[in-house]
Amino acid sequence: MSEASPWRAVSPDAIAVREWDEELVVYNDCTGHTHHLAPFGGKVLLALLDNPAGLELPELIESVAATLQISEAEVLAPVVEEALEELARLDLIACDPA
Amino acid sequence: MIVGELSPGEIRNRLDGPGLRIRIGPIVTEIRSSFPAIHSAIALHYAAHRAADDGEFADFHVSVLPPSGPRRWIRPTATFRFENAPPFQPLPAEQAFPLLEWGLNWCMATQCHQYLIIHAAVLERRGRALVMPAPPGSGKSTLCAALVARGWRLLSDELALIDVASGEVVPMPRPISLKNDSIDVVGRFWTDAAMSPVVHETLKGSVVHVRPPATSVALSTTTALPGWIVLPRYRAGEAARLAALSKGSTLMQLVESAFNYSMHGRRGFNVLADFIDASACFEFSYGGDLAEAVLTFETLAGAA
Repeated sequence: MSEASPWRAVSPDAIAVREWDEELVVYNDCTGHTHHLAPFGGKVLLALLDNPAGLELPELIESVAATLQISEAEVLAPVVEEALEELARLDLIACDPA
Repeated sequence: MIVGELSPGEIRNRLDGPGLRIRIGPIVTEIRSSFPAIHSAIALHYAAHRAADDGEFADFHVSVLPPSGPRRWIRPTATFRFENAPPFQPLPAEQAFPLLEWGLNWCMATQCHQYLIIHAAVLERRGRALVMPAPPGSGKSTLCAALVARGWRLLSDELALIDVASGEVVPMPRPISLKNDSIDVVGRFWTDAAMSPVVHETLKGSVVHVRPPATSVALSTTTALPGWIVLPRYRAGEAARLAALSKGSTLMQLVESAFNYSMHGRRGFNVLADFIDASACFEFSYGGDLAEAVLTFETLAGAA
């Protein structure tokens, strides 16, 4: 996974979001699918929706860490990458070529 | 005029002739049938429903008729038609009334896209809707009948119609369908329930229908606000147990149970999410003790 490639929500305007406590359910206009995201995946998607132009992986990790109030952001790298793979599999996000 | 004010002969003549138009919730359906079992079942189950005037627009035209030719006499069958086309294969003639009811469910689920339609029983208490989405075998209709027996208003035992503009549940009170073991279970609990004769060996096993209370039918235009969403699950021998269910999980269950969610797109998502926002969400397991189950729901409604 290239750190130079920005990750972005596939189409931020097409994604409707409902958040309840730690739960996130999203509807994607582009696919017509509804997804119940794992809590961490939800945080990652929200970070990308807040930054429609996209985020490089280190920026994304920093953003999620700030949301979760975790000072050592690098410990989140493996779980962020795992969440990115899952969100990409659901066609909610994409990685733009560098 | 309500159907119950028509004589048996008038009901038969209309059903066997030009059709009997009945207002069922928001829908006027014109029904035609020559089967005596349907004549008597309509007289029993739809007695409190309004018989629409002949000139009133009918949303649906349906019929359940025998075949022409020798099949009328040899292993006779019944064919359901919607707007003169049969969406299903014929069934044995003795299943004519269940076929009509299943056909009406199909009409509502496939045609009424002004509503978001969930496969669920819906009841009302204090103006709030109790929605119970569940697959067959979950005990949904059994619980529904038990609650109706103890005074809850019936909106539907099969289809929750959510008005996408208001987010409220629109009533469509029709007979409650009971299957197999639940027939005796409900019969013991609701001793004066008006049931049609048992029809055996249907695709769903043995089936009866229970007449909806006249008080529920009389309130057919009174919608209900979101109240509770409860996913029932029958587990033989277990004590009744109500547990909170997360709103996200509940939303996914409603999406799974909806007939026309995809047709409404993002609006459907927003309507369901708003409905869940305004509801308390639970899962409920019970082992067939209907008194205990009803008490649980009475407590839930009383605590609101």
